[in-house]
Amino acid sequence: MIEFQNVSKTYSNGTKALKNVSLNVEKGEFVFIVGSSGAGKSTFLKLIMCEESANEGDIVINNLSISNLKKHDVPYLRRTMGIVFQDFRLIDNMTVFENVAFAMHVVGASTKDIRKRVPYILGLVNLQDKAKCRPNELSGGEQQRVGLARALVNNPKLIIADEPTGNVDPALSFEIVDLLSEINRRGTTILMVTHEHTLVKHFKKRVVEIHDGEIVADTASQEVSNEN
Amino acid sequence: MKINSLKYLVKEGFKNIWNNRTMSFASIGVLISCLLLTGAAVLFSYNIDTAMKSIEGNNSVKVYMKQGLPTLSAVKAGEEIKKLDNIATCDFVPKDDAIEQYMNLLGDKDGTMLAGMTGKENPLPDAFKISFKDLSQYKQTAAQIKQISGVDTINDYSDIAQKLTSLDKAITTGGFWIILILSLVSLFIISNTIRVTMFSRRLEISIMKSVGATNGFVRVPFIVEGVIIGLVSGAVASLLLNLAYGKLISAVTSITMFTPIDINPIKWSITLAFILLGTIFGAIGGMISIGRYLKKEGGDVVGW
Repeated sequence: MIEFQNVSKTYSNGTKALKNVSLNVEKGEFVFIVGSSGAGKSTFLKLIMCEESANEGDIVINNLSISNLKKHDVPYLRRTMGIVFQDFRLIDNMTVFENVAFAMHVVGASTKDIRKRVPYILGLVNLQDKAKCRPNELSGGEQQRVGLARALVNNPKLIIADEPTGNVDPALSFEIVDLLSEINRRGTTILMVTHEHTLVKHFKKRVVEIHDGEIVADTASQEVSNEN
Repeated sequence: MKINSLKYLVKEGFKNIWNNRTMSFASIGVLISCLLLTGAAVLFSYNIDTAMKSIEGNNSVKVYMKQGLPTLSAVKAGEEIKKLDNIATCDFVPKDDAIEQYMNLLGDKDGTMLAGMTGKENPLPDAFKISFKDLSQYKQTAAQIKQISGVDTINDYSDIAQKLTSLDKAITTGGFWIILILSLVSLFIISNTIRVTMFSRRLEISIMKSVGATNGFVRVPFIVEGVIIGLVSGAVASLLLNLAYGKLISAVTSITMFTPIDINPIKWSITLAFILLGTIFGAIGGMISIGRYLKKEGGDVVGW
């Protein structure tokens, strides 16, 4: 699904964000990316999203080498991914429904498909009753579930969650990760960047630790179901 | 682009205008002023042009022969005037006809008032009514006519001719620069207005980019916004210009002899030109600002 081969990234100001990183994430995996701030996690995500390009090494996503990817193909690659942000990034003057539908409009979906698909996805994240609410009428946890619904609505193969629980009550954080696990069980690959060790410990997924631009630890999943 | 996308994007463009209405109305106002000034310059120059043509065509110049010159010599001088390059027409006006014209003019049909001035007592000289092919060459031609023997004076139109010629030139060059500068100002205003909209929608743009919107897709609402601004400005400006010109015509004709051109035959061309111009400017303004934005910060997704 995601393959990094000796990838290095140095910004024009000289910051060495990633140094010779190699990583392989298989289809259907759930991976926690941990590390202190400034370790290179954001750069890692930017490279996957094709927002930045690597100076060295090769990145393959969905069997597509993105080093050779043409600029106008980037949007189509992004359509195979869904992204969830720490700050939710919901549009305040749109209802929950419109926020999710927005992602479908953008890729040219028909109104008919949108009317069918959005309620289904909102049901999946348990927000069917809040479709007409505005983001500011929702709790942090609910807002993040809207963000998750938006990431899911175009049926991506990969979900990238950038500290999705950072602005959510600790108690509700588990709910978000539970939801991500459920999505993962249905076959979507999940990449979740986080700071919260309690979550990482509790969910026992694969953990990749980045420190100072390098991968310093890669612990395989400890889940009971995977051990059998 | 799919039809349902297009419908959605046009709607978004209208939304942009409404959400950013203060700036939208301001830029519509500026654009209207620019178009009005442009239209005024064009109409003014058109009027001057028409005035020049009418002076060239209708207002003939009189060439007076010397007092007491025999008619035969006068006719001979007329032949020579006709031979000059810049002469369009040259008609002989015998002094008897001239005095008769004056009598008619004064309503003195029986010749009581000017009784002592007919026949041999006629104080008027023989004359020629001439018109020029090119009025701007007036000076040279007048000098040539004066050298013909028997010619006494020629009506002095050199001043008017020269003034009109230089005015026409000044208006043409001035109009060109005015239009150019106003075009740039309009583009600047429109693109800035759209930049403001874009700035207020940068979250939406970044989300659009993150879920895989193409740059073309992101662009459309902003171009629609520019087109709407241009369209409205063009329509309002042409309406105002038509109204103002009509008012101006009646004012001008009531105080001077000058007859301005009638705007009615070209009314629709002006309207069409304004709307087209506004639309094109709006579209270009939109493209400039969104293009620049997408090249720079608009590409950010994760690090928004």
